[in-house]
Amino acid sequence: MPEDLTEHAIRNQAAWAGWAEEYVPGAERNWARDEIAWGILKVPEQELQILPDVAGKDVVELGCGTAYVSAWLARRGARVVGVDLSEEQLATARRMQGEHGLEFPLVHASAEDVPLPDASFDLAVSEYGASIWCDPDLWIAEAARLLRPRGELVFLVNGAFLMLTTPDVEPVVPAGTELLRPYFGMRRFEWVDDPSIDFHLGYGDWIRVLTSHGFEVERLAELRNPGHDAGRYELFTAEWAEQWPAEEMWKARKVA
Amino acid sequence: MTSSDSVRNRRAWDGISDEYQARNAAFIGRKDEPRWGMWQLPDSELGILGEVDGKDVLELGCGAAQWSILLAARGARVVGLDNSGRQLEHARESMAEAWVDFPLVHASAEDVPLPDASFDVVFCDHGAMTFCDPYLTVPEASRLLRPGGLLAFSHSTPFVTCCWKDDGTARRLVSPYFGLHRIDDIPSEPVEFNLPYGEWIRLFREHGFRVEALVEVRPPEGAETTYRTPEETEWARSWPMEEIWRCLKI
Repeated sequence: MPEDLTEHAIRNQAAWAGWAEEYVPGAERNWARDEIAWGILKVPEQELQILPDVAGKDVVELGCGTAYVSAWLARRGARVVGVDLSEEQLATARRMQGEHGLEFPLVHASAEDVPLPDASFDLAVSEYGASIWCDPDLWIAEAARLLRPRGELVFLVNGAFLMLTTPDVEPVVPAGTELLRPYFGMRRFEWVDDPSIDFHLGYGDWIRVLTSHGFEVERLAELRNPGHDAGRYELFTAEWAEQWPAEEMWKARKVA
Repeated sequence: MTSSDSVRNRRAWDGISDEYQARNAAFIGRKDEPRWGMWQLPDSELGILGEVDGKDVLELGCGAAQWSILLAARGARVVGLDNSGRQLEHARESMAEAWVDFPLVHASAEDVPLPDASFDVVFCDHGAMTFCDPYLTVPEASRLLRPGGLLAFSHSTPFVTCCWKDDGTARRLVSPYFGLHRIDDIPSEPVEFNLPYGEWIRLFREHGFRVEALVEVRPPEGAETTYRTPEETEWARSWPMEEIWRCLKI
């Protein structure tokens, strides 16, 4: 059992115990899917090409949830390990592994304090995992520790533009155009009627956190509503996401 | 190669130069230490250029050379470049007053008549990186710098472009971010350029730069400026209006 959790990790662990059930259908859909597609916008990896060739690589997914990203990478020949703090999410991941006959290690831990050895991975990934639920300085430091020299880090988060325009109301309404909160000081978010805590940084702060932990920034892919087959989303409208970045992916390489 | 906008912007800057210097020269010409941008925050606080003594420094869009004069006094071998002849006339006056001399080059930063790998620092403060096409200036900066050299520049943020409405900053998004490149709002004024953050990073990397920092400038409360209204400065206390990129040539 994870010990010495941060206050936000304890709260997020409790929140995810309650949410896990709702995420089962999504897990089933994503596990059944062959093509890698990123984020709520489902931008195909084939289009984005942000991942390196993962065949034969050691990959850790930080905040894997139901571990569908790990499953996608395992099918492409990676030796993956999924790390998540929610026992309930990991239970879904284990059930999916059984149903799909695809086994890989799942570790019950916070991505802020991972019980795995230094320099043991070639790639660390996080899609709405540690990337938004953990303190950026803590989980990026862990990613740096876990990666081998020249190892790569790829993660997906909400765009800063979205975080400035998302109303703090329950039930959720899509982002509008009004700037509802300041950009300066943006980091730790608490929402009305929601026990969880998430973290979001501006552009300059992401560059600062990455470089200060020994990463070199290689790419920022700002995901745009692909237009074709534009779905319906909860957090933003298709039209909004054609104009402003609702989601973004960072790619960095460990250099120091 | 220069863009067709470089001709238009030369004409525009020749036209507005006198008025620009009359309004801003005293504010940006303070001699105490190098200062950046619309609120003149000290380089020593922002950590952008640092020590310049003995370095070859090129200012892209030097205007009346307020920056270059200060860096020359601190031991840099500076070259000031500007696309506007009228701006360079102001530069010559300021240099004569300050009793300093260094080369001034009348050219667009999109096509600089100077040799490869001849500078340690290429920089500007709301200069050519705003008024020239970055698809031409970033490769030029890369060509002009020695390995390990620094590219640093301030400009307005994509945020302020997305929130600009009727000649002022709105507290909402009014124009799209994706596709940001050429900003041509007012025919009589210079064309400006900017890119989405991810596209800046891609362009820097493509031309051999490593991104070291993006400093998003937050003015102190009540900060003075000749460039913005008090309301706009207040906006800039909440959302980034000005930022400085710092990249090293690998």
